[in-house]
Amino acid sequence: MSLEAPALAVRDLVAGFGQLTILNGISLELGAGEVVAVLGANGAGKTTLLRTIAGLISPRSGEIRLFGDSIGGQAPHLVSRAGIGHVPSGRELFPRLSVADHFELGGRLCAPERRAALQERLYAMFPVLAERRRQRAGTLSGGEQQMLAIARALMTEPRVLLLDEPSTGLAPKVVLSVFETLPMLRQQGVAVLLAEQSLPLGLSAADRGYVIDHGRIVMAGTAAELSSDQRVVDTYLGR
Amino acid sequence: MATFERAGRGRGRVRRGISLAALVATVLVVIPLAGSAYTLQLATDILTSAALAYGWNLISGFTGYLSFGQVSFYGIGGYATALLVLHTPLPWYVAVAAGGLLAATAALVIGPVMLRLRGILFALGMFGLARILGVVFSDWGYAGGGNGMTLPAELTPIGVYVFAALVALAGFGLSAWVARSGFGLDAMGLREDEEAAAALGVPTTRVKVIAFVASAVLPALAGGLVAWNRSYIDPPSMFDPTIDLQTVVFVLFGGIGTVWGPFLGTLVLMLAGEQFLVYFPNLELALFGVVVILTVLALPGGLVSLANRFGRLHPPVVLAPAELPDAAPPLPHTTAADGVPVLEVRDLTVRFGGLVALDSVSFVIGRGETISIIGANGAGKTTLFNTLTGFIPPTSGEIRFLGRSVARLPTFRRAQLGMARSFQIPRVMAAMTVWENVVLAARHGRQGHRAVEHAAWVLGTVGLAPMWLDPVTRLPPGHRRLLEFARVLALDPELVLLDEVMAGMSREEQENVRAVIRRLPALGVAAVACVEHVIAAIADLSDRMIVLDFGRKIADDVPARVLTDPAVVRAYLGEPQ
Amino acid sequence: MLALQLLVDGILLGGTYVLIAQSLNLIFGVMGVVNLAHGSFIVMAGLFTAWFTETTAASPLLVLPIVLLVGFGVGAVLQPLLLERLVQHGRRAELLSLMVTFGLDYVLVELALQVFGSNYVSIPYLQSTFTVGGVTVSKALLVAGVFGGALAALLHLGLNRTPFGKALLAASQSATGAVSCGIDVGRMRLVAFALGVGLASAAGVLLVLVIPMAAESADSLTILAFVIIALGGLGNYVGVAVAALLLGVAQSVVGFYFGGDAENVLPFVLLIAFMAARPQRFRRAA
Repeated sequence: MSLEAPALAVRDLVAGFGQLTILNGISLELGAGEVVAVLGANGAGKTTLLRTIAGLISPRSGEIRLFGDSIGGQAPHLVSRAGIGHVPSGRELFPRLSVADHFELGGRLCAPERRAALQERLYAMFPVLAERRRQRAGTLSGGEQQMLAIARALMTEPRVLLLDEPSTGLAPKVVLSVFETLPMLRQQGVAVLLAEQSLPLGLSAADRGYVIDHGRIVMAGTAAELSSDQRVVDTYLGR
Repeated sequence: MATFERAGRGRGRVRRGISLAALVATVLVVIPLAGSAYTLQLATDILTSAALAYGWNLISGFTGYLSFGQVSFYGIGGYATALLVLHTPLPWYVAVAAGGLLAATAALVIGPVMLRLRGILFALGMFGLARILGVVFSDWGYAGGGNGMTLPAELTPIGVYVFAALVALAGFGLSAWVARSGFGLDAMGLREDEEAAAALGVPTTRVKVIAFVASAVLPALAGGLVAWNRSYIDPPSMFDPTIDLQTVVFVLFGGIGTVWGPFLGTLVLMLAGEQFLVYFPNLELALFGVVVILTVLALPGGLVSLANRFGRLHPPVVLAPAELPDAAPPLPHTTAADGVPVLEVRDLTVRFGGLVALDSVSFVIGRGETISIIGANGAGKTTLFNTLTGFIPPTSGEIRFLGRSVARLPTFRRAQLGMARSFQIPRVMAAMTVWENVVLAARHGRQGHRAVEHAAWVLGTVGLAPMWLDPVTRLPPGHRRLLEFARVLALDPELVLLDEVMAGMSREEQENVRAVIRRLPALGVAAVACVEHVIAAIADLSDRMIVLDFGRKIADDVPARVLTDPAVVRAYLGEPQ
Repeated sequence: MLALQLLVDGILLGGTYVLIAQSLNLIFGVMGVVNLAHGSFIVMAGLFTAWFTETTAASPLLVLPIVLLVGFGVGAVLQPLLLERLVQHGRRAELLSLMVTFGLDYVLVELALQVFGSNYVSIPYLQSTFTVGGVTVSKALLVAGVFGGALAALLHLGLNRTPFGKALLAASQSATGAVSCGIDVGRMRLVAFALGVGLASAAGVLLVLVIPMAAESADSLTILAFVIIALGGLGNYVGVAVAALLLGVAQSVVGFYFGGDAENVLPFVLLIAFMAARPQRFRRAA
């Protein structure tokens, strides 16, 4: 049992926008090298949770700690610099900049001495991106864009990676190749928090999972436990 | 808490209307009788400025097309009046009215050209027009050129006042009607999202041009009155850009896009301005500049939004009944002859520069069929929908809807004929209520003659009835997709095109949508085409499945055969397990 | 010979126009701020330069870097004060920025009138000309055109080749994506606006060398800048540069044959003509 702080710890997080409160007191933990899935129906709060951790939404109350350091309420670019990588839903690429530019921009947060090596490793991980180095991001296909978004986030040398619904809008074949990158991340000690709408997909890639319903964690357990739990399915069906 | 005033009958409204009329009548009558000449002139100035403000609000506030050149019509009205008074035996008030008519005609010609532009370009174009007109009139000898013209000096201050009051009242009345009418709803929809509005059947160009023409008459009448009142005009005063500035400031301060805003803003700022000028002459422009800045930063909705906070002057919910009626579903009917397929696409090709997005795609959708269209990202699915609905013109090929060639019809016309689509990312109109979003579509669809009942029925069917009066901003994301779907149904379409409608939906929401899709044939929808990635959700609902790959159709068969076709599996589903 | 003369004059004038337009392209295209006060910054800088060189007999080219820096500073103060809080309004921000800068324009023009008066001024600098190949080139025009084009080119290179420039472009293309790379998007907005104002001020210094300027010229210059962008394509640096040069040539020709008034309305006539002929070019840039 390690006495170190977990990679990511969220306590009693309350957040929303305008008059809507979406997160009603979320608590979860993520350890280094773990892949943890956040599951739940649309509108349950998965994306809001990830965006709040990334600093794009200010929490109303509660704590967010990265390896023990509090990051709740900080400006999003500072949260990135602290070590939270974010692959947003909708990818948010820079359409008129090239693939290489994306690597360069992500690399701003990587220590200069490691930058070149990291870039080569990532090009090896995503060979199709290496082929299209000079191509503008806006002209890539959906799957290539998703890979670029992940590569860009990985160039920032994140200690915790937030993956927001990476399968959205992608053909099944492409989704498979995207999820194949997850074990590699685990190997590197990156903690991954994966928000997924698809139950089987999310649990297939994860070690543990949390199920969110109406802004609250209603269930938690290992992937195996959740896969075989009828209540998980019930939550999805709104029962 | 934002609330919308319910459009309902009731004593309250009648009483308010009467007291309003009494107030207006009093003011109108008292001022010329009891006021001094100065007061009368000030009142006349306020009323002509209010007329300008209402004119500007009609185009810039209601449709969102900001114009920085309405002074063009002001000048046209002024010059028309002057020329008519000088060269014809027409009495001055007829000349002024004729100026208004002339401006309307000019707007009818200029509008279709200018209104093709968006945003700043439209504003620029109008500004340029005003500058051009200024130069033209400076060089036109017949109209006095740079020296201007002097009109016969007849003193008719009361006549001018009455005319100005009538014009201002007409402006107010017109705005009040627009804010409650279907036309106004169309304008609001256009302002929110012009493309989505077109997809819901709003004849966008017609709406814009009508608003533009109306917005030209008011400043023209004002210009004519000012010209007559001052007995002198010249290009700098008639095409003075500060008139536009002033108008914009007044409306912005009062509340852009509202009914009371133009009047309140004009009244308050003109009275305040009078006072200010006593102490700080020559700084009028700077004052207005500061007012604009402060208003935008602190109170972008103007005075009316301040009143809203105290529960006053809320906009009505357009065309809303007092209560949501229990409505019957529409009777199925079709315009196509028997045996004619709902949709026939032949050799459809779309090229963007060097990229071929659709390559000779051909397929048929027959009556009663539900087909799904699948394919990898970039395969051309959304391009196909965009071409079918008219957002993108095809490079070549034919599209026949209900036997009719539609490739040349504008988007809104196809929607009105019964081709409805939903968007990948819901494009619901956030500044309106749920009800208004749905009734907007209902008005232009095939149930337009009973739009209110149909809209009520749609809301009930989809499950949005409890929140019918909620502003869309308060809807959680899942409900926005439902609203998008509701709008499609509100058109009472024969062909429904659903673009990734299942994306991001929970199992329960998907079940809801699947249930409605199954019911669609019974509701008079002849055919359904779904673009989908969540294959599991529509495979069992589809009669046929079409697969697109790099713009080409590679499969078109029943789902069982398509999903096991090796070519499809290779291209799209990954290697066989 | 005449055609060549008009061409050279036009291109050199266009060089200054390029800077005027590109500085607005940066502000409008990159940051989405519809800066209706653009011309007033140009005019303030020009009027100040005229006054300064008259008072101190210094060379306007010496004043150029100072004015550029001061303009940058002014922009850096105005952005957080007036524009940054509009960002929260999302889609409406463009309309609101139009309104705010509209108001700002009138405040600044009024200020210019109060401080510098309403007279037209110009600078009698480098009045000499030289002739090469049958074409008479005014030195002042040459300096203005070359410096204008050079500064615009530096901007373009800076944006596309330097890490900071790319960060700026990234911030304009996706704020969420940019913050995930640790880019302080708020600061990028500030720098873009400040840089745009600084370059516009520099354009003012150059312009007053060749054209008489007064406080009331501000609006025409703003319009000119927007028209060039509209013709060249929002966010398209090469297109805007070409449009600026072409407009300079067109004005030179029209001014010669039809006089000053025609020259002044030419931008509008061209805009309206283009709009009528090719409306799809003017659909809102994505």
